[in-house]
Amino acid sequence: MAMVSSESTPYFPDYGTTAPRTHHFRPYAENGGSVVAIAGNDFVVIGADTRLSAGFSIYTREQTKLFPLSKTTVLGCSGCWCDTLTLTRILSARMQMYEQEHNKIMSTPAAAQMLSTMLYYKRFFPYYIANILVGLDTDGKGCVFSYDPIGHCEKSTYRAGGSAGALLQPLLDNQIGLKNMLNVKDDPISLERALAILKDVFISAAERDIFTGDSIDINIITKDGVKKDSFELRKD
Amino acid sequence: MSILTYNGSAMVAMKGDHCVSIATDKRLGIQAHTVSIDFPKVFEMGPHLYLGLPGLATDIQTVFEKLRFRKNLFELKENRQISPQMFSAMVSNMLYEKRFGPFFVEPIVAGLEPKTSEPYICNMDLIGCRNEPEDFVTGGSASSQLFGMCESLWEPNLGPDDLFETTSQALINAFDRDAISGWGATVYIIEKDKVTVRELKTRMD
Amino acid sequence: MFLTRSEYDRGVNTFSPEGRLFQVEYAIEAIKLGSTAIGLCTSEGVVLAVEKRITSPLMEPTTIEKIVEVDKHIGCAVSGLMADSRTMIDRARIECQNHWFIYNERMSVESCAQAVSNLAIQFGDSDDDGAAMSRPFGVAILFAGIDEKGPQLYHMDPSGTFVQFDAKAIGSGSEGAQQSLQEMYHRSMTLTEATTAALTILKQVMEEKLNSTNVEVMTMTPNELFHMFTKEQVEDALKNVAPLEQSRGDNVGRSESDHRLVTTKTAS
Repeated sequence: MAMVSSESTPYFPDYGTTAPRTHHFRPYAENGGSVVAIAGNDFVVIGADTRLSAGFSIYTREQTKLFPLSKTTVLGCSGCWCDTLTLTRILSARMQMYEQEHNKIMSTPAAAQMLSTMLYYKRFFPYYIANILVGLDTDGKGCVFSYDPIGHCEKSTYRAGGSAGALLQPLLDNQIGLKNMLNVKDDPISLERALAILKDVFISAAERDIFTGDSIDINIITKDGVKKDSFELRKD
Repeated sequence: MSILTYNGSAMVAMKGDHCVSIATDKRLGIQAHTVSIDFPKVFEMGPHLYLGLPGLATDIQTVFEKLRFRKNLFELKENRQISPQMFSAMVSNMLYEKRFGPFFVEPIVAGLEPKTSEPYICNMDLIGCRNEPEDFVTGGSASSQLFGMCESLWEPNLGPDDLFETTSQALINAFDRDAISGWGATVYIIEKDKVTVRELKTRMD
Repeated sequence: MFLTRSEYDRGVNTFSPEGRLFQVEYAIEAIKLGSTAIGLCTSEGVVLAVEKRITSPLMEPTTIEKIVEVDKHIGCAVSGLMADSRTMIDRARIECQNHWFIYNERMSVESCAQAVSNLAIQFGDSDDDGAAMSRPFGVAILFAGIDEKGPQLYHMDPSGTFVQFDAKAIGSGSEGAQQSLQEMYHRSMTLTEATTAALTILKQVMEEKLNSTNVEVMTMTPNELFHMFTKEQVEDALKNVAPLEQSRGDNVGRSESDHRLVTTKTAS
């Protein structure tokens, strides 16, 4: 959703002149959206809100930002929507080519590394996307990979990204990373608790971030495949 | 980078049941370079009245001195304690006087009304637009992190002990995700008969 | 009608009326002149053994390198035109590193063979930035490696065809060696047994006397991936190899196979 705009001067048609005017091409748009992912020992959950917006206008209230790449890998994207569309199409093409060349499904860590190199190959005209890739690794353990727009990749067990990333990440540090808490047991997180936290943090984000809201799409990835769920958020 | 985040700060105030809290980090930096880890940003303006000034360090000190002067003058002239309501109006007015050459601070006022002991919190932008919500206010370079924390942790009618825990957890976890605030914290719990000040040890990186 | 081969055996881009590509067939003949190399794949790991032809006593034997590391988990034994093999091994190494760079995982042995095969069949191709390759590569390669499917052995010929094997011999002694492999190989072999078998067969088909300077041995196990034997390790391994004369005398069946070996050798 890039756009071509003239100089940001007020619109006064009566005073128009034939003098040359500069036009700028703005290749990037900020279309908002937040993604949260939480990994457990034998599962991983990822949620993304379904609001697609630009500035103060909402394009749609029901746009999923989760892209299943294989039976055990899901990508969550937020940022410039046109870049997201392009990147995810190239990604699924690369997944298919890999499958045909090497006679196996690409593992989540392999997809994670491939995404990193794909983003870096556009180092000087990046895809303007906050990516979070989740899945099960070769041992069946849940894993979360988060990226910056030019391909820096970090493996972790939980991550919040997108327009409400700054609001939510400290909350996940506290509730899942158990940071700054004394006398707490560091038990592996259960699927029920992960889902409850996921919904809670999105309710908080929808309160304060205008680019996040409407509802969330949730994907629960276990060895049995991807299960889908959704949850309503405030729509204002 | 905004001049408001030149020195880095994190500040939060919350309403509780007949009590309020205000908490701040202790860092002073010049962008990423930490200069001090014991820099006061919350000031006692009365027995139940505290003023927090997140923003540019030089303006923090100037605004604090100017406000102390105005508050003292008010109390001498009127021969009575200033209430949080009146004080925040005074801050707001003083900031708006500099509408087109503002002080780069976004003040937070927290206190109890002298007679009723009703909790009062307020924050404003750098030119004095006041916001007086029912739950909490945030300020500084870590304010978006604080919004996320407070929005989930805060609940109505917290007692002083719970309020302390909620405020501390909100502040510490928020500034741990902000590179230019943190390095220790001070939490003030203001009740009718006492004010408890606690210094918190936090991660120093 | 062209009756002689010579009309069709120049270009690599033209089939003969019988549907043959003579240059490719000649290349396959060419690899039968190369030094013998043997590979065995067991459940424990893979082993490669090659002979080194020391054509002059003034030659430095360690500079002949016929077993090479492609990646930590893939090794290759080559036979034929060594200069051609360099190009192919280079490609194999690049493809393995590229796979690691993009996917952060080890390339499978099959994919590595596939990648080199793509290079091998480029003879005859020409594009904007380069002329066509003048001829096929005159090299046979054994790919020995361990990937997620376990220990594996692949063989590739100059046409780019690659096939998986339990045990395979290439080079001048390959016909006889392959016969012996068929007799000696069984699925429950240990790696040590496989090494001994490889050296025993090599000893049978080599013209020179087998010793620690004219043979190269490589083993690969999940714990210790690409491992070239040192001179001492080769000497130790050679101790397990029964003297040729003795095995001839002892074993009637063996002497038959040895007889065949002699005939094939004289034929090649």
